[in-house]
Amino acid sequence: MIEKLWFLIPEIILFIGVCVVSIMGLSHHRTWRSAVPGATIVFLIAAALATPFLYTPEKMEAAELLMPRVGWYFKVIVGFVSVLLALMCIGLIDRRYEAEVKAGRASFDPMRVNRGEFFIFFLLSVMGVNLICSANDLIWLFLALELVSLPTYVMVAMSRPSRKAQEAAVKYFFLGAMATGVFLYGFALLYGSTGTIVLTEMRDVFAAQVAEEGGVNLLGIVGMIVSLLGVAYKIAAAPMHFYVADVYEGAASAVSAFLAFVPKAAGFLGMILLLGTMGWAGHAGEGSTGLPMPIVTTLWMIAAITMTLGNVGALLQTSVKRMLAYSSVAHSGYMVIGLIAGPGLGINGVLFYLTAYGIMNTAAFAVLAGLERKKAEIETVDDLAGLRFKHPSMAIVMAISAASLLGVPPLLGFMGKLYIFVGGVETGHIPLVIIAGLNSAISAGYYLYLIGLPILSQPSPQAETITTGEARWPRLAGVIGAVLIIVLPVFTNYLYDATERSTEGYLDEQARQIGATDADEPDEPPDPALATRE
Amino acid sequence: MMTADSLHLTMATLEPFSSLELGHFILTSAILFAIGIIGFLTRRNMIVMFLCTELMFQAAAIAMIAFGRFHMDLSGQVFVIFILTVAAAESALALALVVLLFRRKETLNAEAWTELRE
Repeated sequence: MIEKLWFLIPEIILFIGVCVVSIMGLSHHRTWRSAVPGATIVFLIAAALATPFLYTPEKMEAAELLMPRVGWYFKVIVGFVSVLLALMCIGLIDRRYEAEVKAGRASFDPMRVNRGEFFIFFLLSVMGVNLICSANDLIWLFLALELVSLPTYVMVAMSRPSRKAQEAAVKYFFLGAMATGVFLYGFALLYGSTGTIVLTEMRDVFAAQVAEEGGVNLLGIVGMIVSLLGVAYKIAAAPMHFYVADVYEGAASAVSAFLAFVPKAAGFLGMILLLGTMGWAGHAGEGSTGLPMPIVTTLWMIAAITMTLGNVGALLQTSVKRMLAYSSVAHSGYMVIGLIAGPGLGINGVLFYLTAYGIMNTAAFAVLAGLERKKAEIETVDDLAGLRFKHPSMAIVMAISAASLLGVPPLLGFMGKLYIFVGGVETGHIPLVIIAGLNSAISAGYYLYLIGLPILSQPSPQAETITTGEARWPRLAGVIGAVLIIVLPVFTNYLYDATERSTEGYLDEQARQIGATDADEPDEPPDPALATRE
Repeated sequence: MMTADSLHLTMATLEPFSSLELGHFILTSAILFAIGIIGFLTRRNMIVMFLCTELMFQAAAIAMIAFGRFHMDLSGQVFVIFILTVAAAESALALALVVLLFRRKETLNAEAWTELRE
């Protein structure tokens, strides 16, 4: 138990950040207010850097968690990608009001500033993801998933002072509340099936059900499917993906990038934990049947439908933001293959891919956030035409991130896809991997457009009026992202080893657990006989 | 488990309710959940839509309590307290957002908002 408190220190650091930022955001001095994003970034980095020191092997050994080590990897990665996201949000909130205050046209009124609140919500949402890492019961998982989502609804509404953002926020919120209701009902059924809300105990109960009745009982299967469908909202997967394009279009680009990474990371981690209570075939001991067939079928369909709808949807778009939104749906589809494949290449691949996707997607959105036309965001594909003449660095960032999203070999996105696809093939889901391959081919249709348009074509008349945004930080985030896309593949092995180490304890524990029930099985039949004889 | 036993006794003494078992409660919660999700998908008034999501939350809460009683385990009831808390927080947020929209256009009809389209 005490280890769990140690693991909470990064979250505590982030919470101190929340308090500090909320006070700074209301300060009368403009310098304090403008230091809010900087303070946010400092606390994000502090939490990420503290993590490796807190997750010592002895503590991870002693912690009673389903995946004791996952936080060691996850908190660091989410922390550093969030730094890029926070850089993109600089200069986004209160820009007009702060300019008025600076020019002396308006006096400072604490009721009118939102910057502090925006970054509080930012930190709280990241804190939610960190909390999921140490979730060991359904209550904790539910609260952490909600802590990730609730702040994002407000962030969308605040992100820009337009009607579109408010409509997007309401849409996102209502569908999100519905999805929460769905996975909550799934949790209730899982509790009904097992009689416990603790994930590690649930795993034992499911293992016992498999050993005694030859399979997980119906209530458990239905509960798991309903929970997965609800959590699918967070990762923007098939039955729950319909909000994505509208919400990403309505929110400011920086917030769209946030929505594409933070809730997705939370959703995938939640799904890994939930599926981990049932275990995968081959990895969970000799005689285990792995995930029950209906659940594999559900995930299979989610994966196939999600990536197809995402890629076909993206082909039809003329707005870059909607295109990237659909591409976010498609990437979720690829990652679900990793969930089906299970521990080893599958789950490690998902963790790896989340990092890769976070970086390349952030870089792509940073281009949109870093440029503007008459104080408005650029949105359509035509705006990007011939970008290299006026903004060569942004054109290159766009091309690199689109190439990486497509999965061009030496780049980061390719490495991520490789692990997941190989994981799928290894576990015998070859048709699904073929569908994914075909989808990658479809996605070339729009990614090549995004690569070619800024670099090769001539600027359109409307592209001439594009200027760089006031703040240079979003563009810096884009450049950092592009550099990481090129440099990180060199360190792929190290990063993959890190994902492997973060799932290690989980695998061993699972195998040991099921192995033990298998060993008990032959001894069991004589026991009732003895009992009846007595 | 003292309370659970006494609850059982009261149940037994009340003749008409003595045949209540887990299935009835789960059926109730399933019906509530179905009403919630169908209402959410068919109604267009934003307040009613939000009430439908609340109905789904309460369906989950009823199922939690029923299963908790069935397994003689208190964690289901603990979960319900958290569900209620989050539902309250969510309704505060929902009303804030709805008021925000209502100030722009004086209607609660979700279909009046169509700026985000393909």
